[in-house]
Amino acid sequence: MCKQALITAIYLRGKNLQGKVIVITSGKGGVGKSTGTAAIGAALALEGKKVCVVDMDIGLRNLDVLLGLENRIVYNIVDLAKGRCQIKQATIKCRKIENLYLLPASQTDNKDSVNPEEIQIVCNKLKKEFEYILLDCPAGIEQGFENAVAPADEAIVMCNPEVSSIRDADRVIGLLYSKSITPRLIVNRIVPEMVDRGEMLSHKDVVDILSIDLLGLVPMDEQAVIAANRGEPIVLQKDSKAGEAFRRIGMRLNGQPNLPIEIPTSQKGFWKKIGRRLGRSN
Amino acid sequence: MTIGIKSGSNKMPVRVKGVGDSLWVTLDTTHPVDYLKKQTGKLFERLRDLTVNARVVLDPGTPDGHDDLISEIENYLKNTFHVGLVTRHSKPVILPQEETSQNNKEEINTSDVEEDIKEVTTEVAQKNERDEDESKILFMSGRIRSGQKITTKYHLTIMGDVNPGAEIIAGGDILVMGSLRGTAVAGQPDNEKAIVLALDFRPTQVQIGGFVAAGLPPLPESKTEFAHVKNGKIVVEDYIKAKPFDGLHFPQIRKC
Repeated sequence: MCKQALITAIYLRGKNLQGKVIVITSGKGGVGKSTGTAAIGAALALEGKKVCVVDMDIGLRNLDVLLGLENRIVYNIVDLAKGRCQIKQATIKCRKIENLYLLPASQTDNKDSVNPEEIQIVCNKLKKEFEYILLDCPAGIEQGFENAVAPADEAIVMCNPEVSSIRDADRVIGLLYSKSITPRLIVNRIVPEMVDRGEMLSHKDVVDILSIDLLGLVPMDEQAVIAANRGEPIVLQKDSKAGEAFRRIGMRLNGQPNLPIEIPTSQKGFWKKIGRRLGRSN
Repeated sequence: MTIGIKSGSNKMPVRVKGVGDSLWVTLDTTHPVDYLKKQTGKLFERLRDLTVNARVVLDPGTPDGHDDLISEIENYLKNTFHVGLVTRHSKPVILPQEETSQNNKEEINTSDVEEDIKEVTTEVAQKNERDEDESKILFMSGRIRSGQKITTKYHLTIMGDVNPGAEIIAGGDILVMGSLRGTAVAGQPDNEKAIVLALDFRPTQVQIGGFVAAGLPPLPESKTEFAHVKNGKIVVEDYIKAKPFDGLHFPQIRKC
């Protein structure tokens, strides 16, 4: 296993790999950034790409738990930034998905322990080893946000269809534009039944206010909780709607930008569903 | 916004007016120093946080004399309200602008750098006195997002949407050619004739002059509405139906 990884690494280095750094951010906490990062990372890895997910939430790390890797952490991103270890020591290979690696955050430091320049250097090193580097941005727009956004080539803004989340996402979009990054949007936790009843904002309302490119729509899914507790990315769950949506997002990121965006629909009524499908194809 | 304290006579002993980026304090020197100090204190208390680091011009009405009064009030304002710079008004108001405009004529066709400086000075001079005859607009396009703020002392027109959490502040009217969902502050500091108009009117809050109104729950469909002050209250009406400027016999310059 180790030998194979080494061979892959040598092969990739031989190709003069230049990875892409994508930051996943939202402004507000609890909208599904970490779950989304784990899921998109896993989806890209399942596509055969070599992916590193980086937990930028220094002091409040979570991504390791979502990937079921909390007991394998020896070094973390602060150690790497301060030059106390090498990339191979700090990145942890995911047990369940080939090609997926985690660079965990430190739980004992805080966001001021590193600065954007140091993270930039770390990411430049990671770019040579991985094809996709996904940064899980902490909530807020302070130092942690600055650290996570500094090295990013692209940004994904995660948003729930609710007013507070939209307002924070809007603020973050403004900040990203000011850093010359054009973000794309994922609307997470859509409950189609509530949208149908007019009790929840539809994805159209969200896109109307935020007016950025849509990358995907993810329905609310109980499986996400189960997956998080089990410590495996939701894309591995069979018949999970959210998992399916994240897989499609992965495909869209990975060279299939024109893959149609599935709009989450309520299950009730076979003919209604058919009708909506026909409506969408127009 | 001009605020003042009325004494027995009609003339107020102390008046505060926002001029450019300074607070202009006019003192009636016929009153005793302690009384003026007390009245100034009352006015500045009402200004609250606005006084911190503010520039204050004291105007005793005459170009010289009253040095004790000026220094007394200067110290008082600096110590109590933490104002920034306190200066004394020594020349009539119009003079500085005349000087700069003369300079402009002389300096035209000189180097670019000088021209830039000249432009800045003209702007400063214009700031000091509100232009009565001209109607100026800050015309912008694009989306104003949450956390962003547009401030102008002129009229403001935005071709685009104003998102919730954004603030737009103008000295005159505000026209939003799109959805207004954020906070709109028109007619600052004291123009109660200003209006706020939007093609899709659903603001979080509207302020006109000194009046504040919380946004109403949005209508199901978008509607071109405007907010204006009527009988001491902010009223929102359908712009097309209300025709607010129908009563004017001739088109007029809209002052800000």
